[in-house]
Amino acid sequence: MEYEVVKTIDARGSFCPGPMMELVRAIKSVDVGQVVDLISSDKGSELEIPKWCEKAGHKLLEMKKEGEATHYIVQKGEKRRRKKKKE
Amino acid sequence: MEQPKRIVIIGAGTAGTIAANKIYKKAKKTKIPFEITVIDPTFKHVYQPGFLFTMFKKDKTHALIKDARKLLPKKVKTIQDKVVKLDTKEQLVTTEKGGVVPYDYLVIATGASIRTDVVDWWDDTIYHFYTPPEAERLSDQIVNFKGGKIVVAIADMPFKCPPAPIEACFLLDDYFKKKKLRDKVEITYASPLNRAFSIETANEVVQPILEKRGINLMTYFNVDEVDTEEKVVYSVEGDELDYDLLIMVPPHRGQKFLEEAGLTETGGWVKTDRFTLKVEGFDNIFALGDATNIPTSKAGSTAHYEAPTLAKNLVHEMKKDGIEEKYDGHVQCFFLTSFGRSLFLDFNYQNPPRPGKPSKFWWWFKLIFKPFYFRFVATGRV
Repeated sequence: MEYEVVKTIDARGSFCPGPMMELVRAIKSVDVGQVVDLISSDKGSELEIPKWCEKAGHKLLEMKKEGEATHYIVQKGEKRRRKKKKE
Repeated sequence: MEQPKRIVIIGAGTAGTIAANKIYKKAKKTKIPFEITVIDPTFKHVYQPGFLFTMFKKDKTHALIKDARKLLPKKVKTIQDKVVKLDTKEQLVTTEKGGVVPYDYLVIATGASIRTDVVDWWDDTIYHFYTPPEAERLSDQIVNFKGGKIVVAIADMPFKCPPAPIEACFLLDDYFKKKKLRDKVEITYASPLNRAFSIETANEVVQPILEKRGINLMTYFNVDEVDTEEKVVYSVEGDELDYDLLIMVPPHRGQKFLEEAGLTETGGWVKTDRFTLKVEGFDNIFALGDATNIPTSKAGSTAHYEAPTLAKNLVHEMKKDGIEEKYDGHVQCFFLTSFGRSLFLDFNYQNPPRPGKPSKFWWWFKLIFKPFYFRFVATGRV
């Protein structure tokens, strides 16, 4: 799979909800369509990260095992339309 | 004559004060001469669990504050000033007024700062209870609230006292029930996670109580921004919540001078070994309390249980005996479910909490804990 990672967050050694919060922060800081690589060794991330990506509308491109850790390759999705926000 | 070992502690909050007391007692038992200096900009030692009561005008903030100097051993030196620079190579601490304090051993107990300035949407129509004046400002809103939507949300993680926002919801529910206004007040808790509380075993008890009490739970709600004119909170996940009163846990950050010294990770939290409490890369610098990146609660109790290990390891370093003690991650905390009942959480790195049912016993224990805290905990007696 081809993609260009613009931000890598090494959250190894951090425990739930640490890695997910790191991902939330990273996704906030990049543009729509850009790709973030979160590295987490926390088992809880295996459930939490895919669920959150689905909920937030981001695409989990890949989950790659590397030793004890997993790389979560996440592409930022379109921002959901806001009903009430004034332009 | 051997020069005394210079132990410098930055911060006189819960972590710094307990650490100073524990180190003093431990070091006194050795034959090594030593001196302890505590540096703090105010020496106001605040009992922060009281803020939850302040927000309902049930505790006066002045009763929560003591002069930290009175909680320290008499032989401990104090410098009232703000630290602005740390030079780990030369082992020097520089203060705002230009003081330069050399150290042989350093303890970082600088806590977590409330930083509403890191988000551009925060203004004074958003309320919180993390400082005495803000808890008082919020209390005026609560006592005058006649009905509408209250949203309790979290600006960013990590933050001090993970149960606090949920406790606030429980207390709001109880408060408005007693005022016979509950049917006019809608309370919503917006959690950044897929559940109400971060620790799953405790969440199994807490989340059903929220449901039973009619407190709405919005999960995966990571705050993106707030439109304070329209009174809407937007989440990163694309959801939104209308409110009449917004209570938001403010962003927390570590200290700038620690970032500049290269000791921190994202958010300014000091990279600290979660067992030895030594700062990464150093045998003579330690950290405890809210300032660290240790994967446990930012809470006074954490500092309380870290302090004995830190004191032992610092003294082992003074003695150069090669021994290292390990902090096991022990934390205890009350989790109020109403004005009259509380849960009690007791856990460490290996064993998650198994709270029973909310009980009157832990509520009363919580109430008597404040005087106990100042007399026995802060002074390092227990």
